[in-house]
Amino acid sequence: MPSKRFDQAKPFVVLGIVVLTWILLPVAVKSFLRAGFYELQAPIQVTASYARDLQEYWVERTHSNKELMEAGRELRHVYAGYEFQAQQVEALRAEIARLEQLLRLPSNPQYRFEPARVAQRDLSGWWQKLVIRKGANYGIPAGAPVVYSGGVVGRVSAVHAYTADVDLVTSPRVRLAATIENDTRPVSYQGGDNPPLILARGIVEFVPPDIFTSAKDPKRLVTSGLGGVFPPGLTIGYITRLEASTDGLFKSGEVALDPRLSELTEVTVLVPLNPE
Amino acid sequence: MHRRWLITFATTFLLWSVVVQLNHYLAPVGAYLFVGGLLVAFAALRLSLRNGLTATLLLGLCIDAAEPVPFGTHLLLFAVMHIIIYHLRTRLPREETVIGVVVALLANLALVSGLSFVTFGNHPAAGAAWLRIFADLGWSQLFIVAIAPWFFALQERALELGRVDLAEESHRPF
Repeated sequence: MPSKRFDQAKPFVVLGIVVLTWILLPVAVKSFLRAGFYELQAPIQVTASYARDLQEYWVERTHSNKELMEAGRELRHVYAGYEFQAQQVEALRAEIARLEQLLRLPSNPQYRFEPARVAQRDLSGWWQKLVIRKGANYGIPAGAPVVYSGGVVGRVSAVHAYTADVDLVTSPRVRLAATIENDTRPVSYQGGDNPPLILARGIVEFVPPDIFTSAKDPKRLVTSGLGGVFPPGLTIGYITRLEASTDGLFKSGEVALDPRLSELTEVTVLVPLNPE
Repeated sequence: MHRRWLITFATTFLLWSVVVQLNHYLAPVGAYLFVGGLLVAFAALRLSLRNGLTATLLLGLCIDAAEPVPFGTHLLLFAVMHIIIYHLRTRLPREETVIGVVVALLANLALVSGLSFVTFGNHPAAGAAWLRIFADLGWSQLFIVAIAPWFFALQERALELGRVDLAEESHRPF
């Protein structure tokens, strides 16, 4: 009988040993295991990403020469517009530098732009992250802001040898200091409102009570530049609904985000040139 | 002896890798598949404690390394689920595919609940988050029902090819 009882309890004894061993395992060993297991499987993610690129390439090859020439012509128009805007940006940069020198103001943080392909999207109810195909091998630091053509993508949360994890703005782990366009008062944005099968939303808090908005007349939410992580003026989303918060001093509401966030294939990491 | 847990780990890792790629394509439509229950079920029902638990723990470490959770979350959740299934398996006709599917579904439900309680610390929109979790759980359970018989057959065949006697293995004391 005691032998039978022990046989029944043996699995739980084993479980207890496993749990105890894990709790007592040094942090250094756990860190090593985490890095080791991640790098063992990283090639699979990256290979799958390259396979998708190859698939897209062969799909593009099926287009006729006429379609490709049309696409090239359209791109030339867009490129000409961007060239002019780039010249304007350079002129504005020079003007900013002149004013900073004149008024003895500190310079805004400068960045190196590191474009990266998205290797994997991992968007669940628990977390919202991307894996990009550049990591420590390109000098990407943890915490670096990540942007795309439509505005803010998120923040680099973990850097590995050849890949990096990016927490999306839809993730509850991402909280940003923001302002409403044409207003200088700071508000707080946090991700996490991710209903099933429809577009993800964000949450804005500490909005001044004299700000009004609606779905027909949304207000653009942009980064404020406070904290020095994100440059100011980048689009986060559009505030579509505001209501008085429980304390009555401010408003809180919903932020509609760009649907392209869940379909991104390429992003740009802003690597600070002068990290503090 | 190493073949047994190695083959089982390889098949479960393969399934997990496939599901990761599926989730990449499902991201634009706001759906996510979690098949933790299916990853644990076969090893807990059909293998000895040592070999089955080894495969389960290794898989838990792989998933923990890739996901933004405290390292060891999936390891411990999978270990607990594995032990519970192992403890109850003598009362079940565990060679039956239907039983395997039911066990996988119930284990998946428990794992999703456990993972949600661990990760929803200070969630700003807990209501919407739980709605999303329930919806994803629904898709995941349907997915498990669809592929579990095939996956169990794959694991059995892989072990046969590795010259493992599954009947003898499942009756080993440890």
